[in-house]
Amino acid sequence: MNTRDLVLIALFTAIIVVLGLVPPITLGFIPVPITAQSMGVMLAGCIIGAKRGGLAFLLLVLLVAIGLPVLSGGRGGLAVLAGPSGGFIIGWAVAAFVTGLVAEHFVKPQTSEASQFAGFFFASILGGIVVLYGIGVPWLSAITGTPLLAAATGSLVFIPGDLLKAAIATLAARAVYAGYPLLPARA
Amino acid sequence: MLTSLYVEGESWFHRIPVRVKLVALVALSVALFATDSPFLLLPAFLLSGWLYLTLGLPLREALSRVGFVFFTILFLAAVNLFLVPVPQVAALVLRLMALVLFAAAVTATTTIGAFMDEVTVLLRPLERLGLLRAADVGLALGLVLRFVPDIFARYQALAEAHRARGLPLRPLTIIGPLIILTLRDADTIAAAIDARGFRRQ
Repeated sequence: MNTRDLVLIALFTAIIVVLGLVPPITLGFIPVPITAQSMGVMLAGCIIGAKRGGLAFLLLVLLVAIGLPVLSGGRGGLAVLAGPSGGFIIGWAVAAFVTGLVAEHFVKPQTSEASQFAGFFFASILGGIVVLYGIGVPWLSAITGTPLLAAATGSLVFIPGDLLKAAIATLAARAVYAGYPLLPARA
Repeated sequence: MLTSLYVEGESWFHRIPVRVKLVALVALSVALFATDSPFLLLPAFLLSGWLYLTLGLPLREALSRVGFVFFTILFLAAVNLFLVPVPQVAALVLRLMALVLFAAAVTATTTIGAFMDEVTVLLRPLERLGLLRAADVGLALGLVLRFVPDIFARYQALAEAHRARGLPLRPLTIIGPLIILTLRDADTIAAAIDARGFRRQ
């Protein structure tokens, strides 16, 4: 890994931490404010790619584990990882990696703008929703004894919000891709 | 801005080496998941709670640190009441809360430096395989801590620019510029690191 990749990883982790510090953003048309940090997985995969995105989140998990309050709402420490949603936090790294893989596969400089949007959206949904819940929900079920089916049904409540986040992440990722493309750059 | 969750103190738990505490945490989680008996889980919960509350943290601060996780546990327990037998739900609540309290106690009594020393030891096998370098992990960690205040200041500047123009704060108009402005610095920072020979390559 060259120094630039290392710096990109660290800067992205820092961005994710900052997105947890800022007040939740309201969208105007829905009443519930959204935490910008929860879009981090989709943004990391779509913007800096699979390997760097996954490593950025491993670095975040390390920050959590060594006792820094880097998660939204000032949460952190081993207690968060030991709790029921620990699987989601560990799953972030895998989810960002998969998001990046899909984005790298579908989004190329020569593809049309519309298919770039579609590629980022598909990557965000597959990595940031399917893979993330695929890890977090069975983990939660195993730790709390809630039957898997009930846990999965319960988490459906979050899907509409997640789709909205995927849409916002898509627009943001595409804006960054147009302004300062990093996704394909293998320095 | 990013103050560690470590709490200064002189309790006996502060003086135990990190490695022992981490091994104890792993052993405790294995042990707690191996039993459903309230006669073992209740003492474990009380002991962890006593340990955590006697570390010297003010009660309010101590509770707010574990509050969110406890809320999740209790919420899931309430759901579980409809799905699994009551004794099992009680076991679940006691077990998870004991574990969370013990984990919070480890976090509160261990400095970042001590944790990082342990991380370096844990990374050694990976280092030997040539997969990564422990020094790089430390460098990346330092970079994050160094740049979080900068990026936060940048966020505030962007938010003020919105206010000056009478625009509402929208995720899109904030996140895009924030990411581009931040990542654009990567080349300069990387050049500065290499110029100082931090990574010896």
